[in-house]
Amino acid sequence: MSSCATIALLGQPNSGKSTLFNALTGMRQHVGNWPGKTVEKKEGSFVHGGKEYKVADLPGSYSLSANSDEEVITRDFIASGAADVVCILADSSQLQRSLFMLADYAGIDAPCFLLLNMSDVAADQGKIIDAKEIEKKLGIPVIPFSATDVKSYDIFYNTLEKAVENGTKLDLSKLSKQYESIQGYREVFNLIPEGVLPGYSSMWLAVKVLEDDKVVCAKLKNAVDADTYKKIEEAKKNAKGAVATGGCKFAWIDEVLDDAVKAKKTSVSLSKLDRIYTHKVWGKTAVILTVLLGLIASFIPALPLMGVGSAVLALKAPITSALYSIGCPEFIILIIGDVVIQSFSYIFKMLGFVFGVTLVFGLLEEVGVMARISYVFDNTMGKLGLQGKSVMPFLVSFGCTMGGAAGARVIDNWGQKVLTIALAWAVPCGAAWATIPMLSSIFFGPGAVGVVAAILLTMLAHMWITAKVFGARLVKKEDRFGMIMELPPYHKPKWGALFRYVMGRTKETFFRVTKVILLVCGIFWLLSYSPNGNDGVLVKIGLAIEPVTKVFGMPWQLFLSYVASAVGKEGAIGVISALYNGGAFGTAFTEAMNGAGAATNLNEILLSNVTKPEALAFIFAMTFNMPCVVALAATYQETHSAKWTAKIVAYYTVVSLILAFIAYHIGMLIW
Amino acid sequence: MSLSEVKENKSAVIASINGDTRFLSRITSIGLTPGCRVNVIKNDKNRPVLVYSRDTMIALNRKECEGIMVEEVTA
Repeated sequence: MSSCATIALLGQPNSGKSTLFNALTGMRQHVGNWPGKTVEKKEGSFVHGGKEYKVADLPGSYSLSANSDEEVITRDFIASGAADVVCILADSSQLQRSLFMLADYAGIDAPCFLLLNMSDVAADQGKIIDAKEIEKKLGIPVIPFSATDVKSYDIFYNTLEKAVENGTKLDLSKLSKQYESIQGYREVFNLIPEGVLPGYSSMWLAVKVLEDDKVVCAKLKNAVDADTYKKIEEAKKNAKGAVATGGCKFAWIDEVLDDAVKAKKTSVSLSKLDRIYTHKVWGKTAVILTVLLGLIASFIPALPLMGVGSAVLALKAPITSALYSIGCPEFIILIIGDVVIQSFSYIFKMLGFVFGVTLVFGLLEEVGVMARISYVFDNTMGKLGLQGKSVMPFLVSFGCTMGGAAGARVIDNWGQKVLTIALAWAVPCGAAWATIPMLSSIFFGPGAVGVVAAILLTMLAHMWITAKVFGARLVKKEDRFGMIMELPPYHKPKWGALFRYVMGRTKETFFRVTKVILLVCGIFWLLSYSPNGNDGVLVKIGLAIEPVTKVFGMPWQLFLSYVASAVGKEGAIGVISALYNGGAFGTAFTEAMNGAGAATNLNEILLSNVTKPEALAFIFAMTFNMPCVVALAATYQETHSAKWTAKIVAYYTVVSLILAFIAYHIGMLIW
Repeated sequence: MSLSEVKENKSAVIASINGDTRFLSRITSIGLTPGCRVNVIKNDKNRPVLVYSRDTMIALNRKECEGIMVEEVTA
């Protein structure tokens, strides 16, 4: 590669920024965190014309204010000169409104060009946009663009090359004239020396001062002498803030678009689909049905990879026997069979699900359904400090917590995403739902219905309390604001870009979760390993601390099954039935996870060994325990935080034991 | 009157916007500024208000709408 340039993508939500990023970088992308921040950093790269380009997908929402870490990171990144060129995206079908980002950017000193995205949609609406005219007024390259049109990319690459080469910058004269009309602007502007904060023009800084931008004010306070800063404070006192500067920005946009855009007057009404989604009675039902259908649909693309997971498991028998035949030590064979092969079987099944969920959720996001979901559940989820979208991961978690955690990636605020995952863990998954009614009906007959109801109520209370416990730290009070969001028009999905994105995320998930799953499964296996069949470290510990676990209503057999349920809920019953039958702990777990049925005499063993209060305690402990090792890995993958993942695990372990304690003692009162 | 009081399918022009710094900056950045015309598309209790403005359908939290004062347009 001869040389390398960095290009930054800047645009409002729904401007098609992610689609462009995925289309440009494909599998060559990486998601991490901005240094020292809880904001996701999306980077990628591509090669064009023998030159490598790094692409940064800048985070943020509708402007470059100090409202969120995302926006501050974005503007600081641009001002630092880290990008050779900034590609600003606007939506041609809503050009006036979506050019606000350009207006808010104007005054940051970096080369840029403007991409009028979705030009096909605008054309369909009868809007005629003269890009050349806009280009003349702005002084930077302006190109119409449509992500579905192959020719668009040629123009894009050409413009990009030219913009990097010429370092094209915005013409600010007309905009600064608009600002002159604001009361206080001149005074503040004159007090800020040009170049006092590198990368930002005095005009830009003066406007932010008038908008009462805390970050800019603090920086200026350090950069200018105390007397000047006092005068700045004085001058901004009478300012009308963002309302006045926002008015100027739109007046400038109108000036730019004047003569450049011809549009027919159109009347607006909700589409049929939107009339259903926004219906005050049926809206929620429609959303839940949509998510459930999406969940079912996500199994279809998931199946091939899940098949690979089962195929990996089928290798276990031949590999094990082959290893025996060459005289490999048993310990090694067991590690290969029960840890490595077993783990890769989980991993592939998990990848299948991640693939399916990412594809379907990504699709819902891209076509615009996700915004409707946010709208419908804004009120309900707002009470938990979350966005309306958070309802999706919760619904998915009824099937599989890992899917819920993977689905939480549609939530664009890190704190809310972690909180969503933390709450999703409280939703009993499919494997728990298979176990709860079975155990309940053995012990409580028709009373099982009551147990299921109690579990559901506990789940709601758990989520509410967990939102209080973690919410204060994850979602700051000033970040809890009402929805101000665009409901974008429905868009046709860009399949190619979507697939590349999904493949990229699946690949990344594979590398990240493999070590977590191998590690946890390895430790669990080592602790359960017993050379002579029936003990092992975990069994010894279980026996030793039985006096303590009995306080929580769990004799050692139930306690060990509870421990196993943290690795995989499917294994819980197998472990119980083996331990009461005198079988081996580790083997029983592995077999149960591979789908072996419970012992035929399960009912009798349980009824003769376990009391009703103990059974109740176990059901609660197992249900609200850590969901499984795969959910753990997915949580780590999505939060990028070992610290928060560990916190959530510790919290769930403690809470599940408390719930078991309560259930046990209530049970003792009843029976 | 406040934007949240405007009936469905009515139009209004924004007269003034009041609120804290964050609210003002968020509401202007999505395109709602004084003098701007809005059509109220949907206004149900317990749901965000849906308005159409500058070619865009916008969902606004009901409580935050109270800071947006408008004058109804009859035509």
